[in-house]
Amino acid sequence: MNSTNKLVEEIRQRFEIIDVIHPDDQQVILDIDKMHLHTLLSHLKADGFRQLSLLSAVDWIKDNIFELVYIVFNWDTGVHVLARVKLPRDNPRFRTITPIYPGAQYYERDVHEFFGIEFEGNPMSYKPLFLELWDEMPPMRKDFDPEAYSREKFPERVYVPHFVPKVEVIE
Amino acid sequence: MKEVKLFLGPQHPGMHGNYSAHMYVEGDIINKSYALPGMLHRGFEKLMERRHWMGNLALIPRICVIEPDPNEMVYAMSIEKLAAIEVPERAHWIRMIILELARLAANLMSIGGIGAPVGLYTSVYWGVADRDLILDIFEKITGARVYHMYIVPGGVRKDLPEGIEEEILDLLDYIEGRLPEFYDLVMRSPIFQTRTRDNILLPEEVVWELGVTGIGMRSAVNREYDIRKVKPYARYDQVEFSLPYGPYSDAFTRVDFKYIEMAQSISIIRQSIEKMPKDGPVRAKIATGSALRWQVPPGMVYSCVESARGEYGYLVVSDGGEMPYRIAVRGSSYPQGLMGVEKYLPGHRIDDASLWMDTMGVCAPEIDR
Repeated sequence: MNSTNKLVEEIRQRFEIIDVIHPDDQQVILDIDKMHLHTLLSHLKADGFRQLSLLSAVDWIKDNIFELVYIVFNWDTGVHVLARVKLPRDNPRFRTITPIYPGAQYYERDVHEFFGIEFEGNPMSYKPLFLELWDEMPPMRKDFDPEAYSREKFPERVYVPHFVPKVEVIE
Repeated sequence: MKEVKLFLGPQHPGMHGNYSAHMYVEGDIINKSYALPGMLHRGFEKLMERRHWMGNLALIPRICVIEPDPNEMVYAMSIEKLAAIEVPERAHWIRMIILELARLAANLMSIGGIGAPVGLYTSVYWGVADRDLILDIFEKITGARVYHMYIVPGGVRKDLPEGIEEEILDLLDYIEGRLPEFYDLVMRSPIFQTRTRDNILLPEEVVWELGVTGIGMRSAVNREYDIRKVKPYARYDQVEFSLPYGPYSDAFTRVDFKYIEMAQSISIIRQSIEKMPKDGPVRAKIATGSALRWQVPPGMVYSCVESARGEYGYLVVSDGGEMPYRIAVRGSSYPQGLMGVEKYLPGHRIDDASLWMDTMGVCAPEIDR
């Protein structure tokens, strides 16, 4: 935990961190205000965290917020940093991080498609990616019910055989 | 010359799974291309939120078809971190044997499969036939050939059957004897050399831009960047192995590295069988009541392993309930499969497109999820 403690100390001097959690020795979760996320990520990238491992979202429907999780990785020290920001659940918008990590482009598209979070500055984020002709609310939201959707979209059908052969029993 | 629209896949022998690349070609040079995923989207992340923690075990291996075991491993690792479960010593070593056998199987299939895009079909049959022998071992250990559901939270499902160590060692001897033949067949083949040498380059800055991991990364950045080395899980810190790395990444180097890593996997399995404690428990007790109604303590954790294609990770969120609150999957070929196809496939020839997909290690099911 020594290496991550030093890292957290350094970040605390520069940024206002709301909360720090250590899930294991080589992993830190940083809760940060969304105003400071981009500067934090640029700082981390210059500090050796050159790879964006994952960008994803969590829908906390009870608190009415979306939580974006940015996971960056330092290949030299083996430390993962999970930077989390909170967005309001109605009309969620955030700025893109593609100028910092260009690889985020498709992750943002993914999150936009599955959670409906808009990323300003990412022109590709409005194009559909996995779901073709999707006409419902974004499916990874917690209030989306896949069972009800599939019952409505694909109603149960009864198959009637067109041809039933008559079998005569020869005695 | 007139530009022509062309779809490579989803029904094409050169594509990896139901996955398509939409290309604009002029002559046989690709001008523009973008990936069309989604044909294998089965909604795994949503399905996982609607099943119990233990019920998910049957679902997760299906995310990647060729190498399902990393899925089980990251899922088990995440839950063990959240619930603070100590895995028994013997289970760690059994997990390593399973993971390395899976990597060996995936690399055999991959080295065999490279024959298809270059027109060297013998290697396809050889690779698949030898992989089948590994699947036989899997069947004896786990009862299943492809989707094992063997690595569970707290250890492994059951102990190794009696006498399987000798069978594994015999098989490793056989595969080790076959490796030079693969080298003669594939690497030294003039067809293969002409098609892959100095073709399909992956420069270092592209690796950092996209976030490519695994063999592609090691062959480009000249560092031994591997999760097994950088962030050892199971007991990888107690075995000796060295991975190939280099500064120049063309298609030939990447296939060559796969070939070298097969020998390393064989060495790791041998060391594991030797160092493994001969008896002892293989699964820690995780819950006092029914395992199906088990509640994992709340929290968020990211865990990752090195699959044959690179960093494979799960972000697992629990709210203390009977089912996971959210699981996000980081497929290792996500960066090169989507953004790589869009930005770096153009400029190559049509017949190199499937070679590009193959040596970059694009795996459609883990991109779509």
